[in-house]
Parts: sequence; structure tokens; C-alpha cells
Amino acid sequence: MSMLDRKLRRDLRALSTQALAVALVMACGLAMMIMTRSLILSLSTTRDEYYSGHRFAEVFARLKRAPQSVEAELAAIPGVAHVQTGIAVQVTLDVPGLAEPAVGLINSLPERGEQHLNRLHVRAGRLPEGRTSRGELAVGEAFAEAHGLRPGDTISALLNGAKETFRVSGIVLSPEFVFEAPPGAALPDNRTYGVFWMPYRELATAFQLYGAFNSVALTLAPGTSEGAVIAAVNRLLQPYGGRGAYGRIDHPSHRRLDDEIRILEGLAIAFPLVFLSVAAFMTNSVMSRQIALQREQIAMLKACGFSNRQIGAHYFKFSLGIVAAGVLLGAAGGIVLGGLLVDMYHLFFRFPSLEFRVDYGVLGLAAAVSAGAAFAGVAGAVRRAVRLPPAEAMRPEPPARYRPSLFERLGFARWSGPSLRMAFRNIQRRPVRSALTCLALALATGILIVPNSFRDGIAYVIDFQWDVIQRQTVTLSLVEPGPERALHDFHHLPGVVRAEPFRFVQVELKSGAIARRLLLQGLPAEGTLSRVIDAQSRQLRLPERGIIMSAKLAEVMRIQPGDTVFARVLEGRDREVAIPVVGLAEDFAGTAAYMEFRALNRLMLEGDRISGAHVVVEKARWAEFVAAVKETPRIGGCMIKDALRDGFRKTTAESIGLLQKIYAFFATIVAFGIIYNSARISLSERARELATLRVLGFTRGEVGAVLVGELVILTLVALPLGLVIGSVFAAGIITAVNTETVRLPLVLTPSNYAFAILVVAVASALSAVFAARKLAEIDLVSALKVAD
Amino acid sequence: MERIYGEGTAAVTALAGVDLDLFAGELIVLLGASGSGKSTLLNQLGGLDSPTSGVLRYRGRDLAGMDESGLTLFRRDAVGFVFQAYNLIPSLTARENVALITEICRDPMAPEEALAMVDLSDRLDHFPAQLSGGEQQRVAIARAIAKRPEVLLCDEPTGALDVHTGITVLEAIERINRELGTLAVIITHNAILADMADRVFTLSDGRIVHARENATRGAVRDLAW
Repeated sequence: MSMLDRKLRRDLRALSTQALAVALVMACGLAMMIMTRSLILSLSTTRDEYYSGHRFAEVFARLKRAPQSVEAELAAIPGVAHVQTGIAVQVTLDVPGLAEPAVGLINSLPERGEQHLNRLHVRAGRLPEGRTSRGELAVGEAFAEAHGLRPGDTISALLNGAKETFRVSGIVLSPEFVFEAPPGAALPDNRTYGVFWMPYRELATAFQLYGAFNSVALTLAPGTSEGAVIAAVNRLLQPYGGRGAYGRIDHPSHRRLDDEIRILEGLAIAFPLVFLSVAAFMTNSVMSRQIALQREQIAMLKACGFSNRQIGAHYFKFSLGIVAAGVLLGAAGGIVLGGLLVDMYHLFFRFPSLEFRVDYGVLGLAAAVSAGAAFAGVAGAVRRAVRLPPAEAMRPEPPARYRPSLFERLGFARWSGPSLRMAFRNIQRRPVRSALTCLALALATGILIVPNSFRDGIAYVIDFQWDVIQRQTVTLSLVEPGPERALHDFHHLPGVVRAEPFRFVQVELKSGAIARRLLLQGLPAEGTLSRVIDAQSRQLRLPERGIIMSAKLAEVMRIQPGDTVFARVLEGRDREVAIPVVGLAEDFAGTAAYMEFRALNRLMLEGDRISGAHVVVEKARWAEFVAAVKETPRIGGCMIKDALRDGFRKTTAESIGLLQKIYAFFATIVAFGIIYNSARISLSERARELATLRVLGFTRGEVGAVLVGELVILTLVALPLGLVIGSVFAAGIITAVNTETVRLPLVLTPSNYAFAILVVAVASALSAVFAARKLAEIDLVSALKVAD
Repeated sequence: MERIYGEGTAAVTALAGVDLDLFAGELIVLLGASGSGKSTLLNQLGGLDSPTSGVLRYRGRDLAGMDESGLTLFRRDAVGFVFQAYNLIPSLTARENVALITEICRDPMAPEEALAMVDLSDRLDHFPAQLSGGEQQRVAIARAIAKRPEVLLCDEPTGALDVHTGITVLEAIERINRELGTLAVIITHNAILADMADRVFTLSDGRIVHARENATRGAVRDLAW
């Protein structure tokens, strides 16, 4: 090891706490970068392997009914590689231990041979055999877990009006249902919605569909245009009640998974960027100070024949030491946290196995990025140091030029003692440095705002979604849309105090080249239970004509109120109508479009029909109500609001909550790191001057006030700035992670701001205490002798 | 040569025309009050600074016109500096401070040998903070001579030392000059040191105002101030 390297090692050791503070900030940024990028890698590679291993289809279609012979015609469409047809029907379930009815989607298994596409992964037990036994079905894992179902257990379902009991043959997973949620729902509710598989013959017979199919999945030959195949499939299936084919991008499970990856991508850039820029700034301030302290050493090295390059390299290595520690800590932190977080995804996404994979590529990138950040931070200081002619550097630095501060010139001096005056002059003497320290303190405040705005956003969504928008107790849906008089039957269920009808229709909305499939919700013009709310939290009245859509949907479809969208009805008669957009609604779970329900029925040309009703139930008669619902065969679904809210709290809220806690923890470390570092540097710069003051008879308290005063003044300026910066960060990051399926509102609460201020205040106070203690340790005589 | 700092009305003339020849093996003392220009002259001689005008040659090489990297090489290979403030690296031991320089030059002596020449063989592994002022200055001299320099430039080497310690330091410099044939230039405001020199120049206001040649060099231990 060369002598310069030996010096480096000892200098680093002497500066270890400060170097550690910088390394920790860097490590926080890197840990987040590595964690999120590795989660992205884990999710996307697991998904891709699952999709290809289990042959996930590329185009999907639903229809009313087509004879089996149509399958050959589908296979003959140019560009189609494989076709699989089958039956998928929605049924009402009676699950042991569950008071309310649940909804099941039963899919058929091929009559002969294996599944070509969307192959199942058997987790436990086996697939139903069909030919040798009857009354068996396979259950999707999410639902099975929610109810503790195991192979051999039984479950009852209402098949076309007849209640039948089935034995669970096995627990399975399907690439089609990685995200297992009811159609149109953004959130899983694994208690009341499940996916099942049964042999074709048994299922088809029960629904009088034998020899026919109502669902299609297909894959494409390489190089085929998906759009052309979808158009051909639609043409072919139209006479059979086709509801429009769609690609993976519109596949609900695939889309939700894609959105999750997109959220992570947003987080993988935004947070680390902020943290690493802070780390670069801290490296710069530590190195500038270190170089200032070693001014004479640098001059000696130059006088003795060391070249500028050698000296520059020495200080770069110094910062590289900090970077190495940061990268090591960051990589370890990122890998550990990523490993913990990946388990969280089991709550939403069902894969045969989701293993954590470290993105080693990003590890290298992270090291390069932080080395770059540190170099950028240190380059200026090194350049200044080597530019100084050695003869000049050998002399002690000339006394800095001070002058009365603006504060004094404004006439405040009368109220300030010499300590405060010195603090102000110090700030003003080095405006750029003071501004940068102030900015770093503001960043420390700002990054504390972001994670807590996530937390508050979730709390807001929970209130907004389930108190402001939805005020019903239960949403009951009919197996098939029925006449409006069915509403009376809902009214007559025990305990129902209020019932409002709704009509849901699957549509494809189109504007220009952009199309989206969704449930068009027909609601009473001014309903009191399921309401349409605008951005100002006012209820919107649904007009006689026209459609109101989620603001996010309008944004992605580039639509403004007053524009016209084309709605293609995907059930019943195939129609396409132009509807004016009359307003934008605020909502956070998925995207939706709303119409007055009679207007929607007019559009359907079906007379007044309802899909179900939102009802309010008396608490006292709840048990009676649930029992009655279970006995009503026409009721296919029953969504209990409180159960949904609980589900949301336990899954989405908890997972975002975990991320929020990790980020808040990191932000706190960064805040402490920045403030501690600032205090250390100003102590080091001031040591001689402060010792002089002590020698001249100032008390320890008065001297401390000079040092702490400066920090306090900068912190006071930084706090409001930090709150603004934090709000902007929060807005930016929330915009970056908002997708069509998951969104968070920007919520900034006083308690969020208060927390940020508190952390910064505590960090400042602790740093001040530390500085005061260091100050007490200064040996007055030696501080005056050597420049240190 | 001339050295002027700054421009226009703010211009300060540090060297106002100095003409001087120095030879190998000589021991030179530059005397002068503070501000007389002696440090500026030393900086020119050591390649730390370049004259504003005039000629500065070292063994036929033009130092005045040399660029930064040329001067760096000149300092590395030919010049040893001893500073008034010692300028040791506090985080390195005596031996390591010397080794720091021997690592970058062509034909250095071993750090232990250099330290032995200044009588510090028993202080090899002490850090600067553990050494007295005179010992620190002798480490600085060992560091300067370890590269076997052709020129040894000493800026107030005894400025911060008492008489007894100062004598030890000067003896070390004199010994190097005598045994290695190094040109040694000592700048000082202490006129007593003139006795140990071959030649003595007195500077004032950036000019040499007095030059004298000693027939015989006085013994260092006889100096007293």
C-alpha cells in the first residue's frame, strides 16, 4: 500500500462518523433502487416464465354461445397459432363458514387431453378427472386460502338454478388469474370471489351448452398483427353473441400486474434520484471541508513533486471509499428488504413460486451512479485544491472578508447579541454554501413528506371510496339483468331500509385510436347510495343524456367534457353509439363511466332492466338478511362494503403501508445524516475561531450559540422551503405511480408537515447537543496553535 | 528576473530585478526582513512559481518558460523543500512521511537512512503529534533529502525553534550539503546564520542590496542567538 493510500485510510478512519453519515444517505437511495429494481426483475421474469411455461394466451374472447365447429374456423384465421375454446360461467356459491353468498367463475377443462393454453399449475391434490368421477372441481389458490379449503373439502354451487355440492379435487393456479379479482374490480376480494375449474362435459351439461363454447383463448404466430386477428375473431364471433376480443393489454389480471411493475418503475427512479443527489451534495461538502483542512498538506505534496493528477486521484479515492461503503450497505439493505417485500406480493399475485431475484445489473449501475454522484460532488473541490499555487497554499488562508449582515443593516442588530450577529455574518459571508446547506436541510424536510403522503392518501381513499362514494351496506347483483320490478323484491328482503337500482353493461369506449373495455354503470340520476363525485367532492347529477367518466379515464383517452365517445355494447345486441361526455368524476379504484340508468337502458334498447341494487340494511336484522339472500337463487353476487374495506386495508393498504414505513425510515436517516453533517462541518470550520472566543472569555454557552445559531437560522429558512419541495415531490411521485387500475390522491395533511418538522427539529437539536459537547472537548491551547 | 503580483494599480513588485548564479555544493543564506522578497525568490528557485519577466535557468534548462507538469517533474527530481511550518502529514509516521516522497522519485535513499542522517533512528514510528518541534523539522529535512536532491531549499527552518533545537536542525542541513554535495539555500531573517554560509545575500524591497562571500564557513555549533 502506498503512503498516500495509507494516509487515505487513516484520514477516512478519522472522519468515520461523517463518512458514515454520507454513506448511509447514499445507501438509502441505493437500497431503494436495488430493492425496487430487483422486485421488478422478480415480478417480470416470474411472470414471463409462468406465461411461457403455462402457455398463457395472447387474445381472449367471450361470446354467448357458438357451436364447437366454429373452433376450426377460429384456428383457420391467418396468424392464429393455437386456439382453445371452453365454457366459463359465473355461479353463486355457498361456502361453509361464509354467511353471505360468494361468486364463482367456473371454467371448463377440455373433455379430452390436456389444456393447450392457460395451463393450470396444481398446487395440491389433482385436477378433477371427469370421465371416472363426477362432482369434483379444482379451486383457485387465493379463494381456497381465504376459506382454508383443502382437497377433499366440499363446496356448494348453484348451477343454473340447481344447487349441487362438489368435492375439491385440488388447489390450482392459472396464468389467467395471477390477479384474482371479480370482473371490473380493481381490488381482490378473495372471500367472496373465486375461480374454479370443472370437466367440460359436466359443466356444459348443467348449462345446456354441450357441444358449444362461450369463451376463447388463442395464441398468435410470430410476427402476426394482434389487431388484425382481433378484428377477424370479432367478425367471426359476432353472429354468436361475441362480446369483443381483446389482447393481453386489456386482460384484467395481466394489466394489474403490469401496473404494479409500472408503479415500481416510478419508485425505482424518483426516490433514489433525490437521495443520491443529496448524497452527492453531502460528499461535496465533506470533501470541500477535508480539502480545506488539508490545504497545507496539498501544497507540500505539490512542492515535493506530486502532480495534480496524483493529488486529484487521492481525493477521488477518498470519496470512493465513502461510495464503496454506501454501495455495500445499500446493496445489503436492498437485497434484504426486497426479499421481505417480495412475500407481500403473494397477497395479490398468485404465481407457482415468486422468488426474489437480485438485479445484479442494477447493482453495477447503482455503484456507477453513486460513484458518479460522488465524483460530481468532489470534482469542484479537488479542482480548486490543485489549482492553488503551492507557494500560496503554504501560507495560512487569508482572513475571510466579513461585513455587517443584511439582518444588521435592516436594523435588527439592536436586539441581537454578538453571537447571533456572528451567526448571521457567517451565513452571509458564504452565500452559496449557506444556500446549499439550506437546500440540503430543505431536502431532508421534503423527503419526509413523500412517504407520509402515501399513508394519508390511502386513508383518504378508504374514506372517500367507502364513505363518500359508496354508502350502501351491500351491493346485490342478479345472475342475469332482470326487469325493474325486481327492485321491489330487494326492498322486501328482511332489514332493507333503502334500495337503489343499478344497471351494469360491458362496453368498449372508443375515442380516436384509443379504446378501453369497462363496465358502464347505470345509476339513478341523484342516487344516495352509490354516488358520482367530482374533484371538489360534490355529487354530480347524472343527466338524461351523456356520460360521466373517471378523470383518469378521460386523461388516458384524451377526452374533455364536451367531446364525444363511441360506446360499443359488448352484451346483448351489438351496437355502437356516440355519447357526449358531460363531466368528470373523481375515483381511485380502476376507471369507470357512469350514465343515468334509464338512459343506459334506452341505449341498450331493452326496456327498464336492472343488474342489481345497492341496499342499506338495518344492523339488527343482518343475519336474517344474509340468510334470505342466500336463499334467493336470482341473486348471484353480494358484496359487503365493510368486507371490501377490510380487504383493502389488509392487502393494498398494508403493502403500501410497508413501503411507506421503509421509505419513512430511510427519509429519517437521510434527514439526520444531512443535519449531523452540516453541524460537523460548521464545527470544524469554526473550531479555531470558537476556541479564540473561549480564550477571550466568552462562556461555553455564548460560543455554542454562534454555532447552533447558524444551524437554527438555516433550519428555520429551510423548513418552509422543505415543505414546499416535499409537496412537489409527493405530487410528482404520486403522478408517476398513478395508473389506470391503482391511483392515490395527493393528500397533504398538517400532521404530515408536523412530522417532517419534528424530525428535522429533533435531528437539529441532537446535532446541536453533539456540537456543543465537541466544543467542550476542544483543547483551547492546541486549537490556537495548529490550523485544524 | 522580476516577479510582479497583480496588475495595474494593484500591482505589487515582489522581486524587482535579481541577478544571481548559484553553484552545486554551495551553502547559501538569504537574509532579509519580512516582505523583502526572499520567500518569493525561493519559490522561483524551487519551481513553485514562475518569474513575470527575466531568465531562470537550471543546468541549462529554462525554468521560466516551463509548464506546470515540467515544473512538477523538476521539483520531484531535483528539489528538496524544508518549510517553516514543517508541513508533515499528521496521519503518517516519521518513516511514512519520508516514504511518501521516496515512492515517487528515481533514486531515493531508504527512509530509515534519511532519518538516520538527521539522528531520528529511534523515532521512526512516531506520529508528528508525538514529536517535538525540532524533531518534526528534522523529519521534514529527512523527507527533503531522501530523494538526494541537487537543490535543498529551506524556508526559515529554525523560525519556530529555540537555539539548541535550531542548531541541531542546521547541523543536519549543513551535513547534507557537505556529504551529498547538495546546493543548500536557507532563507532567514536571522543574520547570525550568515556565518555558516559560503555566500550571503541580503534582500530588501525585492533587490539584492548586499552580497558577501565567507572565506571559511563557520561551524554551526558555534552559532548563537
